Formats: sequence, structure tokens, C-alpha cells
Amino acid sequence: MIELVIGVLLAAAAVWFVLQPIFRPAVEGRGTGDAGRVEDGEDPDDDLSPRAVALRALREIEFDRATGKLSDADYDGLHRKYTAEALAALRAETRDAGGEMRDASTVARSGAPHLASRISHPACPTHGPRPESDAVFCSECGRRLAAALGYCARCGSALEVEARYCHACGARVAA
Amino acid sequence: MTLLGNLALWVALLLGVWGAITGFVGGLYARPDLERSARNAVFAMCGALVLAVFTLEWALFHHDFNVEYVAAYTSRNLPIFYTWSALYAGQKGSLLFWATVLSLFGSLAQLFTARRHRVYLPFVAGVVCTVAAFFVTVMLFAANPFGRLPYTPADGSGLNPQLQNPGMVFHPPMLYLGYISMTIPFAFAIAALASKQLDSDWLIAIRKWTLVSWLFLSIGLVLGMWWAYVELGWGGYWAWDPVENAALLPWLTMTAFLHSVMIQEKRGMLKKWNLALVIGSWLLSIMGTFITRSGVISSVHSFTESPVGYYFAFFLLFAAVTSFTLYTRRLPLLTAEARLESMVSREAGFLFNNLLLVGIAFSVLWGTLFPILSEAIQGTKVTVGPPFFNQVNIPLGLALLALTGIGPLIAWRRASLPNLQRQFAVPVTAGVFTGLVLLLLRMRDFYALLAIAIGGFVLATVIQEFARGTRARRRQYREPAPLALAHLVARNRRRYGGYVVHTGIVVLFIAFAGMAFKTETEATLKPGESATVRSPYGWTYSFTHLGISQYDQLNRLVTAATIDVRRDGKRLGLLTTEKRQHVDALGRPTFQPSTEVGIRSDPLEDLYVVLGGVVGGTEQAVFRFTINPLVWWVWYGGMIVVLGGLIVMWPGGGSPAVKRAQAGYAVRLVGEEK
Amino acid sequence: MTSDCKRREFFGLMVSSVLSLSPTVRQSVDSLPGSGPSGRLWDPSRAGRPLEPVVAADNDAAIQAIEKRLHCTCGCGLDVYTCRTTDFTCTTSPAMHQHVVTLAQQGKSAQEILDAFVRESGVAILMAPPKRGFNLAGYFTPSLVILVAGVLLVLALRRWTRGAPAPIPAPPPPPDASPAELERLRHELEQFQE
Repeated sequence: MIELVIGVLLAAAAVWFVLQPIFRPAVEGRGTGDAGRVEDGEDPDDDLSPRAVALRALREIEFDRATGKLSDADYDGLHRKYTAEALAALRAETRDAGGEMRDASTVARSGAPHLASRISHPACPTHGPRPESDAVFCSECGRRLAAALGYCARCGSALEVEARYCHACGARVAA
Repeated sequence: MTLLGNLALWVALLLGVWGAITGFVGGLYARPDLERSARNAVFAMCGALVLAVFTLEWALFHHDFNVEYVAAYTSRNLPIFYTWSALYAGQKGSLLFWATVLSLFGSLAQLFTARRHRVYLPFVAGVVCTVAAFFVTVMLFAANPFGRLPYTPADGSGLNPQLQNPGMVFHPPMLYLGYISMTIPFAFAIAALASKQLDSDWLIAIRKWTLVSWLFLSIGLVLGMWWAYVELGWGGYWAWDPVENAALLPWLTMTAFLHSVMIQEKRGMLKKWNLALVIGSWLLSIMGTFITRSGVISSVHSFTESPVGYYFAFFLLFAAVTSFTLYTRRLPLLTAEARLESMVSREAGFLFNNLLLVGIAFSVLWGTLFPILSEAIQGTKVTVGPPFFNQVNIPLGLALLALTGIGPLIAWRRASLPNLQRQFAVPVTAGVFTGLVLLLLRMRDFYALLAIAIGGFVLATVIQEFARGTRARRRQYREPAPLALAHLVARNRRRYGGYVVHTGIVVLFIAFAGMAFKTETEATLKPGESATVRSPYGWTYSFTHLGISQYDQLNRLVTAATIDVRRDGKRLGLLTTEKRQHVDALGRPTFQPSTEVGIRSDPLEDLYVVLGGVVGGTEQAVFRFTINPLVWWVWYGGMIVVLGGLIVMWPGGGSPAVKRAQAGYAVRLVGEEK
Repeated sequence: MTSDCKRREFFGLMVSSVLSLSPTVRQSVDSLPGSGPSGRLWDPSRAGRPLEPVVAADNDAAIQAIEKRLHCTCGCGLDVYTCRTTDFTCTTSPAMHQHVVTLAQQGKSAQEILDAFVRESGVAILMAPPKRGFNLAGYFTPSLVILVAGVLLVLALRRWTRGAPAPIPAPPPPPDASPAELERLRHELEQFQE
């Protein structure tokens, strides 16, 4: 008898748990906005943007020559080819970044896999990249956007390379 | 508690159906509410199934012999360890275990998938729910672990003695974990196809899952070999049994995938091939379960046979047809410009590696299914045993082993002759040298000699790769050698972890080659008499029968023979081999007497002693003495493979300082452009 | 019952230890190493099926080679030799072994013995199907499939590498790469994955 009661209670709980999202839809949308981008803490190997692929190829060519697998002639040919590819990828990203600044609303959806553009648009942990490149607070929830990479956690100033303290407010940069 | 268990199964079934529907509908029509409902359904199903497992374990531990499963696989005097593992000792419990672990993996995939891959998750939930719902259906309608008997036996029939071995506690779950985790990459592949998000992003989402599944399967295979070796008593570890083959097949195709995935990452090619490999591996893993569970092909593993086979045959067909229909419909979206710089390149090497791996998989599958085929076509039943498999697969395996060494020596994209000469000089010399030394040592077995010589070549390749990589790094960054080596591995975990796996594979092949020199003899000995066996290394072992003692243990009556072992007159120690008559708590014998092998293992050779039985009820006993060279290395080779796999899987992500530096640099770039 | 036996044994042991003072008695009943006829087991039934002593034919390499090609019919899926030396509970494989030995003693060759078994029980008695007729498909399909796939792969590789630049004449460097861009690339490369 007790088993039956427990079972029915659990079934009811399961039904509630499963149906709850349908009756009480959350404000949060689908997480499709940022496809193609590597998040913080993810393996850099997982970055398959054209830029990353081309840079990886260049490093590999470098390494294969250093270990004696690639002849100098082959190296020259491959190096030129992949330099051209990498430059093309970088240019494409720069173009995208320019486009993003002009049309911020499309950025949030298309989410070009671009490092520079990611930094110029600080991201809110819940609402994704902000359209305003100089946003300090999220325009949707008001959260401080200090968690963005390369920005001071206290005042939000852009940090210098490998800075251990913020040059603007002196706060320690979290490791 | 079986009522609760049954209820939990029904709830799980309903949740599975619901999750399957909402997952696919929500994903296809972009309905966030349905998507989240499907996600919750996976979690809830996991909860329900864990509850079902809990109730079954409850019944097992409380010796509720009115439950048929409990009565069939345990007894009151079964050691507690095996009472626990009885959960997957029988078919019904295995199904429950399968479904539960699947829902657990499904939940983990929902929780830990990177945000940018969220678009796939509703479909993943849908696939996981469909597969789990199938398993629950089989349980509810054909093999219910909570089924009750019309009466309550005083004691259960106990666990098959062959399963009462520590290897059996860990081998099945590991193998199952390997099979089951394969469902997640498959689910992502289906998700990519269904959602038409077919750029290479799905690849990233599943690569790590495939590795997890590959690693579990590797551990499961090695543990299975170990179990067969120490428990079954025929003195070997691989017999090309259909069930062993079924576990090997997905392992081969997954290994192929883990290699070809690199070409897609670098060149964007082979999308169709990679998707087919993922889908194929999963179908093979389901087929493995089907073969194990249906008894369609007779096998030593056929502990359990039942109508469940039909369910699996149907599901296999359904899954194969659905997934390949979806696949062919998406083929136009999967075309990519295929371009390579040269025929002589790492890429080409990987393609040949795929050819061989899939080729071996095909020949194993072919051999496994050939009896059925023969019966259908020519009407005669034939047996396809180890001679067939060895004949076909040893040459292929050796070619694959050679590729393991050749591939890493060729540069990505393009290689030219002078460089190839420089790369191959040392390893080829090492291989030839190994071969010559073995010839001088009078090794006459062709394949064994070839295997060890190729092994020498591959090992030299791996060492050269590490050495040259370290040297390049030392030159470039002016680091001391140990630091350079550490950085080399840490920065290229996939490459160097892969080389460690290769080392393990070489060790395994050399160990397999050792089996060509297995020597055995049977002898009847009275106490005090000795048998002598010459080992392949030229030593003479003498085994002296000291006597037989009989005593009772927890759930068995033991007859133990003790043997004194000497090598060239020098005493090595005692070996004990047993006959065990298992009994239930009332002292009634439960199974046929089983044999416990006496094994002495060292890196060169194993002594393997089996007590066959006694003559005329006296202490005069029949023994089989086997000398198995190099078996030790199978287990250690397996460990090296697993270690390599762990290195590959070790989470990366770069240090925070590096990330900050990158970010800061990008900031400056943007500033410059303005 | 059990304790009874133990007690009897215990007394027996005491008696024999007393008697062992006289060397003549120790010779006859004991089972110590090298001390004469082996003693009876306390409970032979738990030591499995009673066995016959091993004879020379059991260790005969020629007989074993034949048996390794014969499939045991007990349902174990093993060959006769492996079955009879592994699972000593099986009675089928020792019987088949006896049959092989009898045929061999009649002076039959290995092939004749195998043929005799095939006549009696069908082709399924062989561990690997004989290489004729449809079975040839069994042996050669895998190699054939791999060969064909290999040829296709080589053809595909040729197509994929067609139009690839010859090794030496490389494409010229992109003309419009400004020094600033090259510098940026160099930096990106330095930061990448380090």
C-alpha cells in the first residue's frame, strides 16, 4: 500500500516536473544565439572557426618542419597557402565586426565566431552578448558585465595584456 | 518493493514516450516550452529508472525469492559483492541497467553540453528517450525484472559460478557503459541531421563522448579478456566468440571515427563518412546487445536466451531504416569540397587506416554472420571458428599495426622523399633489427616474428616522435628537456596521448604474438609425482603434485590441489587449483562443478594449471599444465591504452592567464583599427 | 553427518600419528608425497566427474591438431580439444576424442578422420568451413571488399589531389597583405593555443 502511494506521488511529481515548462514558459529563449563560438574554459581545440583552423594549420606546418617531416620547399608552398587563408579569415572577421557594430541586432542572432567582436561586445551571463560595445551593465537585467574577458571585474575598464591589476581602479584581476 | 519498481518502469515508459515526442516536435518547430519539457523528461526518466534499480537491489539484498529474478540469480549464501552485481548477471537486470545508465548519460549530456551546441539538445533528448523507452518496453512486456513467482522458494538457485569472479563485477558494466555511451554521439548525429545544422559543430559536441565510449569499451574488452583467461580455464583470452566480436565491432568503427574526425576538423572533408561511422557504430553496439541477448548465434555467453531477441531485431531494423533514411535525405547538405595537397600525406594515411579498421570490422561481422548466411543460401549450417578469423584478420591486423607506425612519420598535407627517408630511417632500422635478432634466436613462427618486428618499428616511431618534438620545442622556446617534453604533451594532448595509445596497441600485439608459443600438456599425477614441461624460452618446469585437500567455503565445497613449481630445479613456489561445487544455503548443489585455475604470472610467461578432476575418487588427479608466454603484457598493454585515452581526454581550455592575454590582445587590435 | 566424519577423521589422525612411530604402518595408508598409493578423497563427488588417467594419445600433437579443427557438439562453441581440456564436466568432447583416437589407431590420416566426422555429422562439425563452393565467398569476400574499397579510395585520393599545386612552384604571397595585417597574423599565431 505504501509502495502504491509512493509510486503515485512520484508519478505525479514527474508529471508536474515535465509539464511545468509548458504551462509556465520561461522568459529565457533557446540557446541558439551563439553557435560556433568557443566559450570560456572550453578546449581551444574545439574552435573550428576558419580563423582557428587556418592558424592551427600554420602552427602544424611550422611544427612539421621543425621535426623534419616537411622539406623547406614544401614548407614555403604550404606556408604561403595557409597564410593567405588565415589572412582571408582574419579579414572576414574584421568585416563581420564592422558589420556587427553597424547592425547590432543581427549580431545577437548570427553570432559570428570572432574573438575581437566578442570582446567589443561584453556578454551578460544570462542574456548573451550585448549590442552596445561599451555596455557596462546589461540592458536587459541590469547585471554588471564585469565578467567579460579582458575587462576589470570592478570598474569594467579594458585591461592591458597580462595585467595583474586594473590600471584604472587598481583592483586585482582574478586569475 | 516490486510494485514500486513496476510503477517506476511504467512512469519511465510514459516519460520516455513523452520526451521522444516533445523532443522532436519541440526541436523541429522551435518550441522552447516543449524543448524544456523534453529535457525535464530525460531527468525525470533517469530518476524513475534509478528508483527501479534501487527497488531491484532492495529485493536482491532482502533475498525476496518470490521475485523470479532474485531466485534465478542469487542465493542466501552468495557473497554480498555478487549479490550486488547480480543486477546485471541476467538479461532482465541487464536491460534495466542499460536503460538506467542511458538515461543517466542522457541527463549528463543535457547538463554539460556547451551552450553553443544547445540547438541539438532537444533532438538528443528525443533520441535518448526513444531508445530508453524501447528498453523499458522490452522489460515491461517481455522480460520484467520485477516478475513474481507463484510460490516462494526456500533459496535461490545462485549465481553462475563463472560469473562469481571479480572480473565479472567490472567487465559487464564497463562494456555496457561503452555500448550505452555510444548512444549520445549517435543522438547528436541524428540531431545534426534532423536540425540540418550540419557544419562541423556537431563534431565537437560528440568527439568527447565518442572518446568516453571508446575508453569504456576498451576497458570492457580488456577486462573481458582477463575474465575469460582467469575464469573460463581454456588458457586463452580471445576465441572469436560472437559476443566478443560484437564488442570488438563498435570499437573498431569508433577507432576509425576518432582518426577520420581529424581530417574533418582540418579540412572540412568526410562529413558523410564520419556521420555514417557514428550511426554505424551505434547500430553495431545495439547489434552486440542483440547477439548477446538473443542467442541467435550460439556462443559461450548465451547465459540467457528469450523472446527478447525479436524485440531487438525489430528495434535494430527500425533504427537502421530510420537513421539511414534521414541520412540519405540529408546527403545533399553534406557535400563539402574535397581537396588534398598530396597523395603522400598524413591525411591519406588516415584514410587507409579507416579502410583497414572498417575492413577488419567488416570481416569480423562477415565471419560472425556467415553461419546464418550459409544456412539461408546453401542450406547447410557451418561453423566459423578461430581458424577462419585468424586466417583473415591476422594479416589485416598486422597491416594496421604497420600503419600505426607509418602514419605519424608522414607530415600533414604533403611529404617529399628526402624527408620521408629521414623520418623512416631509424624506425625501419629498428624494425629490421628486431626481426633479425628474433631470427637469430630461432623464432620460426612467421606471423609472431612479423608482429614483433613491426612492433619494434612502431615503438621506434613513437620514441622518435617524442624525441624530435621535444627537440623542436627546446630549440624554439629554449626550455630544458623535461619541461619541453611536459609542455609538448600538455599542449598537444590529442597527438601525444594518441601515441601512448599506439604504444599500448603495440604491447598488445606483441602479447598476442606470444600466444603462438603456447605449450601445454596433460598429466595424471599421484601425490609426489611430477610432470615436466619445457617452456618456449628453453627452461624446464617441473610441477609436483603435493596432494588434495577438501574444505567448505561460504557458498561452495572446494577440492583444492596444491602443486610445487620448480624452474630448472629452482623452487618458484606453490600453485593451487580448485574444483568448486557451488551449493545453496540448504547445502543443495546448484551448478556443475567449476574450475578455479592456478596462475603464476611474470612478464615473460604465465604458468596456468587446471585441475581436471580425480581418478577413481583418489588423490590421483588429472592436470593440464599450460605455459602462456607474454600474457602479462595483455593487461599492461590494455592499461597503457587506457592511460593514453585519458591523456587525450584530459580537459584542456588553456590557463586563465592565456585567455586574458588573448582577450587583451584582441582589445588592442580593435583599438588599432579604429 | 559432516561433524561425524570430521570426528572420525580426527580420531583416525590421532591413531595414525600414534602408529606412525612404527615405520611399517606409515607406508601403507598415508598420502604424503612419495609415500605410496594415493589415498581416497573424503568426498570424491565434489571433485567433479571421475576421470580416466591421461594416456599418451591425449597429449599427441597430431591428435590435438585434428581435434582443434573439430567443433564440439555439446553446445559450447569450442573445438573438441579446447572443450575437453577446459570444461572437464563435458562428456561429449571426451567421447569425440575417443572416436578420433580410435580412427587414428586404425591408421587413418588426419584428412580421412575429418572426412569421417563430416560424413557422420555434417560440415558444421568443422571449426572452419571447407574451402569450396559458397564457402569460398566466406573466405574471400572480406579481402575482396577491402581490395575494391582500397582501389576506390586511391581513385578518390587522386581526384582530391588533382589540381593541387606542384611541390616547388608555390602560389605567390597575397599581394595586398599590408605589414599591419601580417603583424596581426604573427601575433594571433603567437597567442594561438599557447
